[in-house]
Amino acid sequence: MHLEIITPDKKLFEDEVQYISLPGIDGGFGILDKHAPLISALKKGTVQVTDKLSAKHNFEINGGVVEVLNNKVVVLAE
Amino acid sequence: MANLKEVRNRIVSVTSTQQITSAMKMVSAAKLRRAQDAIVQMRPYAEKLRDILGNLSGSVDASEGGAYSVQREPKKVLIVAITSNRGLAGAFNTNVLKIVRQLTTEKYANQFNSGNVSFITVGKKATDYITKNKLNLLSSHNELFDKLTFSLATPVVQRIMDGFVNKEFDRVELVYNQFKNAAVQIPTEEQFLPVLPNELPKNAKKAVSTDYIFEPNQATIVTELIPKSLKVQFYKALLDSHAAEHGARMTAMNKATDNAKDLIKELKLSYNKARQAAITNEILEIVGGAEALNG
Repeated sequence: MHLEIITPDKKLFEDEVQYISLPGIDGGFGILDKHAPLISALKKGTVQVTDKLSAKHNFEINGGVVEVLNNKVVVLAE
Repeated sequence: MANLKEVRNRIVSVTSTQQITSAMKMVSAAKLRRAQDAIVQMRPYAEKLRDILGNLSGSVDASEGGAYSVQREPKKVLIVAITSNRGLAGAFNTNVLKIVRQLTTEKYANQFNSGNVSFITVGKKATDYITKNKLNLLSSHNELFDKLTFSLATPVVQRIMDGFVNKEFDRVELVYNQFKNAAVQIPTEEQFLPVLPNELPKNAKKAVSTDYIFEPNQATIVTELIPKSLKVQFYKALLDSHAAEHGARMTAMNKATDNAKDLIKELKLSYNKARQAAITNEILEIVGGAEALNG
């Protein structure tokens, strides 16, 4: 699936990924390929991304929101 | 006819002024590009945020703005004036200050006369204006433009939003220059808080509504998103003003360079005239002298 992490200043990340772990406002959760459409609020925490080479990337965010649609994930981070 | 040496000195000084203005023009052009890039960088975020809000707003009714859309009698007003830190940008700062003056003498004259209008300024020019007129300055944030990032702008806008929620002010107006293109800046006054109902997109997006899963629920997400979109709105005003400043300075410096060019041309003409007059005089003297000897 395709992931974009956007902040108001710049685009932090954009690529195909395997797995994303997100700090949901009511607890962390993960998104795998072909997830159903979802909009969720995020709290301060770490977004962990496993890319297609199974390498892990960490992004600290200060809250935000995530949208999943048509196998495309957009994280609006702060 | 002007003294030769005087004219020569003026030509030298105008030329060096021209060099300065044309250098400033080039610096502004470079900074303008960077400021424009920042606007472009922010656009995907703003658009996505608007999309998501659009997806939500149809399903959550009037409560959407929460604490930020409460309409109160505007007894206490906050005016946020955004100008630049430096001058030499044509009417850029004057335009903003003119709107501020208009607001205090017309729209909010009553509140102003009873001392219920306070100010937050971004940019040295606005700060100077407010302090010079001894108005009620809450805080100034001149340092924001040194390095304009979202995380630096957030505390300022958070302070404004908190003030509104705590009923410190009933209305917040934003005065700044909107960036249209390099040559055009639009001095703007917009109501920042309370959130205007039509400000939030309730567009036809609803028609294509996807069956989203909402975590934890729609209302929570909306209350999370409204402050974010307010912050983005404020940040956008800052970015706009920043880009507009450099645009305005570039135009002003371009004009100054052109004016200097004209001035140099005129001065050179009068310099040459004076020089020729001096030569003619000299020849006349020599011829006159020779005649006298012959005669």
